[in-house]
Amino acid sequence: MLGRYVARRVLAAIPVFLGVTIVTFLLMHLTAGNYVPGLALNPDLTAKDIARIRANLGLDRPLYVQYLTWLGGILHGDFGTSLIDGTSVLGDILGRLPNTLELTGTAIFMGALVAIPLGVVSARRRGGALDNFLTLVSTVGFAVPQFWLGLLLILIFSVQFEAWHLPWLPSSGAYSAFNGGGPLDRLQHLILPGAVLSFFYISQWSRFVRSSMVEVLSQDYIRTAWAKGMSERRVTYLHALRNSILSLVTLVGLEIPGLIGGGLVVEVVFGWPGIGLLAYQRALQYDYTVVMGTTTFAALLVIVGNLLADVLYAWLDPRIRYR
Amino acid sequence: MAEHLLEVRGLTTEFETRDGILRAVDRVDLYLDPGEILGIVGESGSGKTMTVLSIMRLVPRPGRVVAGEVIYRGRDLVQVSEQEMREVRGAEIAMIFQDPMTSLNPVFRTGWQVGEPLRLHKGMGLRDSIGQAARMFRQVGIPEAERRTANYPHEFSGGMRQRAMIAMGLTTAPPLLIADEPTTALDVTIQAQILELLREIASQFGTAIILITHNLGVVAGMCDRLMVMYAGRVVEEGATEGVFARPKHPYTWSLLRSIPRLDADEREPLHPIEGMPPDLTNLPSGCAFHPRCPFRIQRCIDERPELVALVDGQRAACWVTQAGTDLELAATGDAWGGDG
Repeated sequence: MLGRYVARRVLAAIPVFLGVTIVTFLLMHLTAGNYVPGLALNPDLTAKDIARIRANLGLDRPLYVQYLTWLGGILHGDFGTSLIDGTSVLGDILGRLPNTLELTGTAIFMGALVAIPLGVVSARRRGGALDNFLTLVSTVGFAVPQFWLGLLLILIFSVQFEAWHLPWLPSSGAYSAFNGGGPLDRLQHLILPGAVLSFFYISQWSRFVRSSMVEVLSQDYIRTAWAKGMSERRVTYLHALRNSILSLVTLVGLEIPGLIGGGLVVEVVFGWPGIGLLAYQRALQYDYTVVMGTTTFAALLVIVGNLLADVLYAWLDPRIRYR
Repeated sequence: MAEHLLEVRGLTTEFETRDGILRAVDRVDLYLDPGEILGIVGESGSGKTMTVLSIMRLVPRPGRVVAGEVIYRGRDLVQVSEQEMREVRGAEIAMIFQDPMTSLNPVFRTGWQVGEPLRLHKGMGLRDSIGQAARMFRQVGIPEAERRTANYPHEFSGGMRQRAMIAMGLTTAPPLLIADEPTTALDVTIQAQILELLREIASQFGTAIILITHNLGVVAGMCDRLMVMYAGRVVEEGATEGVFARPKHPYTWSLLRSIPRLDADEREPLHPIEGMPPDLTNLPSGCAFHPRCPFRIQRCIDERPELVALVDGQRAACWVTQAGTDLELAATGDAWGGDG
């Protein structure tokens, strides 16, 4: 039953994916489609040279042919090559993917891990001092831009700590270029960007868990649970949380595409060599095959993320029928 | 008198609200013997549910029990630790609630939920407890009991869910079961089945039952004794037959008159109780029922009546009947009480 449900969802995702590729392709074509790399730097190129380069790149062909060629490539796992350095776009993406997953995966995991107990505590003692404090903190989390928070943390934990001769944290990269790359070294690099990104998730999700817990705790079946004679911990973390976590699953599932996009600002600030930084750098260089590649890849993750959330939700909530 | 299974004395529960202190339960006394069914009757907001939640120490915040004793088998439940109280709930005193549609947790299998008290209180393992849940399902008349334990609550009908709730309450064979309007949310035919089930349980296992209801018909068919509540207070208490035959409080009298009767003259109008239930934060002086009472005398406005034994252990808190007036006689001799 679950298999058919998944198959239906996959089929429904196909038009969405095609739509995304069309929009991506057209937008990139309108902004950078006539660009020939190196043109501005090389005054020796004649009009004939440029026409030849454009013909080599296939830019002289009708738009729909260009699109279909590109789409056909993607369907065969070929995202084309970079216009800047000629490397495989998919290779670039896959090369950066582990770094991105390391950062955003950690942030999402830490976010959920911290947000759930914070939300529960807030809900149980709502209106109390701790609840009010947490409300304030998460409002800050919503309001403060990630790049600003990132720079502030760098200023404190990298610059000032070093000046004070305290153990300081690296401000950029995923590992040290010299003698680096060990687990401890990577962890040190992960702390600051991971903190910035997870702070955002914690702010968002702890509020969400709080409000859904408040609702669940007022339900009749919670009173039933109390009347059975169990501890407050069992009532809260087994009978109530299981219900309120349902809606959080959807929210976290929707963050899975954030595995790429959500981390972009943080990757740029901390020079984290992930897909976000790749897309950002190549966008500045008009390397549009790479930009299209990362966008399409992100769209694929959005679709997969939603699908995973739906399946997980259906699995957790017995009232959902796989239809 | 021998020691009762449960004896409540002077139980008082208050809520602090913006409009002042709200006394939801006001010096309630009650007792219960093994195998006995006690009905608690009253309008919405009369304190029926709060009384039993106070006994269970499950009064929602900001409410709290401010005075009184709840003596259960020699222990005062108001004083015991939360840990001890937890061992009483579900094992000694079980409770089932009004709305079976929302009283079961939607994300756990019914067998898992029904067997849970056994795991909590009897140290039973998961498999055994679900096996016992299946036996309880059979006991309360759920067909295909074995298979049904694997169902989720949404796969049960309303009547089946209430049966499952009863099964859950009874798995640990508690001496006392509190049923808070267990049939209000159900169809009439299902209501009768559930009530029949409760009565069987009481006679078969000697389980004492407190049955909260606003349906006097249910009380007449089920309960050995009856307790009528108004504005958080007990206004009348006694054996069901006696109270029905000669109510000693005008509120009880009015309630009985407000029921449509099949054997009555069809032209006879119904007699709803005039006025509205009182605002608990701003109770009338004296007897809380006096503004709606057709029999009131000056003393009812000035002074609050206490619950006093009148006949055969039937007690009422009313100045009029305590002065020896017979309500039925007074009513027929009077213009507003007459049948037209």
